[in-house]
Amino acid sequence: MSAAHLPALLGGLTLAACLGAAAVPRRALPGVAGAGTALVGAAGVACGVAALDRGIEPIELAGALPLAGLRLAADATSGLFLVLIGAVAVAAGIYTAGYAGRGHGSARTPLVLLPVFVAAMLAVPLAASVTTFLFFWELMALASLALVLAEQRRPAVREAGLAYAVMTHLGFVAVLVGLVVFAAAAGAEEFGGLGEAAAGLSPATRTAVFLCTVIGFGSKAGLVPLHAWLPRAHPEAPSQVSALMSAGMVNLGIYGVVRVDLDLLGPGPRWWGLALLAAGAATAVYGVLQAAVATDLKRLLAYSTSENMGLVCVALGVAALLRATAGNDEPTAAGAAAVVALTAAFVHLFGHAAFKCLGFLAAGSVLAATGRRDLDALGGLARRMPTTTTAFGIAALGACGLPLGCGFIGEWLLVQSLVHALPAGGTLVALVLPLTVGVVALTAGLGVAAMVKAFGVGFLARPRSEEAERAVEGGPAMAAGMGLAALACGVLAVAPAVLSPALGRVLPELPAVTGQGAGAVPAPDLDTVLRLPGTSGAMSPGLLAVGVAVGIVVALAATHWRARRRPAPLRDAPLWACGGAAPTARMQYTATSFAEPLQRVFDGILRPEVEFAVTPYPQSSYLVERASYRSRLRDVVESVFYRPVLRAISAAAAVVRRAHQGSIHAYLAYGALGLVVALLVAM
Amino acid sequence: MGLVASIRRLGRIAEPAPPTTWAGAAPPDQASKHPEAGGGAEALPAALRGSLQLRHVDAGSCNGCEIEIGACFSPVYDAERYGARLVASPRHADGLLVTGVVTRNMTDALRDTVAATPEPRVVIAVGDCARDCGEFAGAYGVVGAVRDVVPVDAEVPGCPPPPDAIIQVLRQVTGR
Ligand code: SF4
Repeated sequence: MSAAHLPALLGGLTLAACLGAAAVPRRALPGVAGAGTALVGAAGVACGVAALDRGIEPIELAGALPLAGLRLAADATSGLFLVLIGAVAVAAGIYTAGYAGRGHGSARTPLVLLPVFVAAMLAVPLAASVTTFLFFWELMALASLALVLAEQRRPAVREAGLAYAVMTHLGFVAVLVGLVVFAAAAGAEEFGGLGEAAAGLSPATRTAVFLCTVIGFGSKAGLVPLHAWLPRAHPEAPSQVSALMSAGMVNLGIYGVVRVDLDLLGPGPRWWGLALLAAGAATAVYGVLQAAVATDLKRLLAYSTSENMGLVCVALGVAALLRATAGNDEPTAAGAAAVVALTAAFVHLFGHAAFKCLGFLAAGSVLAATGRRDLDALGGLARRMPTTTTAFGIAALGACGLPLGCGFIGEWLLVQSLVHALPAGGTLVALVLPLTVGVVALTAGLGVAAMVKAFGVGFLARPRSEEAERAVEGGPAMAAGMGLAALACGVLAVAPAVLSPALGRVLPELPAVTGQGAGAVPAPDLDTVLRLPGTSGAMSPGLLAVGVAVGIVVALAATHWRARRRPAPLRDAPLWACGGAAPTARMQYTATSFAEPLQRVFDGILRPEVEFAVTPYPQSSYLVERASYRSRLRDVVESVFYRPVLRAISAAAAVVRRAHQGSIHAYLAYGALGLVVALLVAM
Repeated sequence: MGLVASIRRLGRIAEPAPPTTWAGAAPPDQASKHPEAGGGAEALPAALRGSLQLRHVDAGSCNGCEIEIGACFSPVYDAERYGARLVASPRHADGLLVTGVVTRNMTDALRDTVAATPEPRVVIAVGDCARDCGEFAGAYGVVGAVRDVVPVDAEVPGCPPPPDAIIQVLRQVTGR
C-alpha cells in the first residue's frame, strides 16, 4: 500500500468505527468504540510515519465539499503532529474500552463520536488548503463540544459546554478571518500557493493575518487571556476525552501557529517573535500559578496544559525572534539558538502530550474508582490503586520538568537556547532573554509545587473520604492504556533520540526559523548525548538515568548489607502526634492548606475571596463557639477580562431588543428601510 | 563593631564548672560496666555519654521548674557545655525532662512521648512534684508522680530544684 492510500484508510476506519459503535449491542459498545478509536489513532500514526518518511502527495477530493472540494497532503511537519495525535488516540482508545465499560461517559452518542473527533484532529494537519483546514477545524470543534457535553445532566457540564462553544467559535471566527484575508490577498487557496505568495503581501495584510491567526490558534492552545474555556471544559469532559483534548487538540493550536505564521507567512518582523514570547510567558506563569492553587485534580491538569502550551509558545517566540535577529548571511549563534528553541518546542510538545495523556487517564481512573476529583477528598490511593498511583507519579514527574521526567528535555533545550543566544543578539535580545529564563525557572519551580501537591495530597497519606477508602483499580484495559502512555513517557525521558530522525526532516522544512542558504543551521543531534549545534551545551538523559539507577541500586545494596551486619532492634512505636490523640485523616495537609502560602505570596494576582468568621459564646468573647474559614479562587482573567465584555454585550443586546416589539408592521418597515439603504449604498 | 566591643567588655559570664560529686550515684564509667544493674542512676545508658538531646515535658507543673530548666540553658549555667541540649520533638531526643505532677489530661500524652523517644533513652523527673507529687499530692486532677506512669531513670529533688542540681544530674548522664 502506498502512502497515498493511508488517508483513505484513515477515513475508512473512522467510518467503520462509527457505524460499528452505532450498531453493536450496548454490552459490546465500549469495546468497539475504544478499539475503533485506537485503530483510527494507529492509522494516524501510520500516516504520520509515511509523511515523515517521504511526505504524502496531495490528494484532491473535488466532490467532497461544494465549490472548493477537499485537498489533503502531508509534509514532515504534518507528519510530526499526526504521529503525536495518533499516539495519544491509541492510548486513549484502549483506555476507553475499560473506562466506558465501568459506566463512565458510556452513552452511545459520545462513544460513536469519539472516533470522529480523533479523525477530525488527524485531518487538520493533513489539510492542504484553506477550505479543508477550516472544515476539519470546525468538525473537530463540534465533535469535541459534543464529547464535552457527554454528561450533560450535570449543570457544571452544561455551563462548561456553553463556555467552550462560545470561545471555540470566537477562535474559529478569528482563524477564518485570518485565513480568508490571507487567501484573498494571496489569490490562492492551497497552502503551497499561499506560501509562495506570502512574501509579496503588504506588511499590513501580513500583520492582520498574523494577529487574527495567533488569536484564533492561541485560543485553541489555551493562551492567556483566551484560555478560560480550557480549565472549564477539560475537567468536565469524560477522562479519555480530557486526555484527547489536553494532549491532542491543544497541540493543533500550536500546529496552526507553526504552519500559518512561521511556515506560510514566512519570516516575520521581530515583534512577531516578541508577541508570541510575551503571550507564552504570561500563559506559562499564569497557568502554573492557577495549577499550584487548584484543588480539583482535573482542573489542575488543565491549567498545567495551559502552562505547557505557554512554554511551547515561548520557545516558538524565541525561535522567531532569534531568527529575525540572526540574518541569513552566515551561521550565527543566534541562528543556532533559534534552531535549538524550535527543537525545544517540538520536543516539549511530545513530552507534554505523553505526560498529560497519562495524567488525565490516571485522573480518570481515580474518578472512576471514587467519583471524586477534589484533592481534599482523596488520599491514600497509593495502597489501594498502585497501578494508577505509579502512572500518575510518572506523569507528575514529567510535568515537573525535572531530570528523568519527560518534560525535562524540552525545558532544558529551551533554557539552553535562551542562555547561548545571549552574546549574539543585540540590546533587545539581551534584555528579553534573561527575563525569559526567569519566567521558565519560575514556571518550573511552581510546576514542581503543583505536581507535588497533586501526587502527595491525592495519592499518598490516608484517605480523606469514604469513597477514597473504598477505591479499587479499574481493570486491564485502563491499565493498558495508562501503561502505553507511561511507556511513551519513559522513552521520551530517557531516549529523546527517537525524535531525532523526525526532527531532522521537519526542521529543514521550516526555513523561516532554521534559516536559508549560508545561515541554515542543522537540527540538533539528540543522540545518547544531546549536542547542540553552534553551542557548547551537551547533556545525556540516558546516561543520567543509568547513573541514577546505579546510584539507587548501590544505596539499596549498602543499606541491605548494613542491616544484615547489624540487625537493628525493631520496635513498633505509635505515630507521633505531638502527644495528642491518634492522628486522623483530618490532621493531614490538604491541597488547600498546601497551596495556602503560595496563595498568600501571589495574593495580588490570584485575588482569592477569603472569609474568616469567629463566633464567640455570648458569655465571653474569649470562648470561641464556632470558627469558619472559606476561601474561593476564581480565574481572575475570567472575572476581570470576560465579565465586563459579557456585560457590555448584554447591554447592547438589550438596546437591540427594544427594536423588537413583535409587531409585524415594524419588521416590514425594517425590511423596506434595509432595502433602501442597500440600494443607496449600491448606487 | 559595638557588638564585638561589648562581647570583649563582658567577657565570659558562665559560672566555672563545679566539681562533679556524683552524689548518690556511681560515675557513668562504672554504670557502663554494669548495664544489667537496675534502678537509680547506675542504669543510665552509656550510649548517651558525651551528648544528650533532651525533650522537656510539662506533665502538670506550676512552671517553677520550667524557669529553673530555662536557667540551666542560660549563659550563666550553660548546660550545653556539658553536652546537654534541648530539642523540639521526642523524635529528636535521647531523653526527657519531666516536670510537675502527672495530671489526668497529660497522662496519655506523657506515655506517648516516652514511647516516641527512641531507645536508649533516659527519663529524668525534675522537681518534688515529679518525684512524689510534692505540693499537689491528693489533688483531684492528679494521677500520681512520674514514676507511677512511666519508668524513671533519674530524679532531681527540690521545689523548684536549683539549676546546679539539674545540671548535676545531666552531667551524670553525659559524663562531662
Ligand atoms: S516542684 Fe515546685 S516548682 Fe516544680 S512544679 Fe512542683 S511546685 Fe512547681
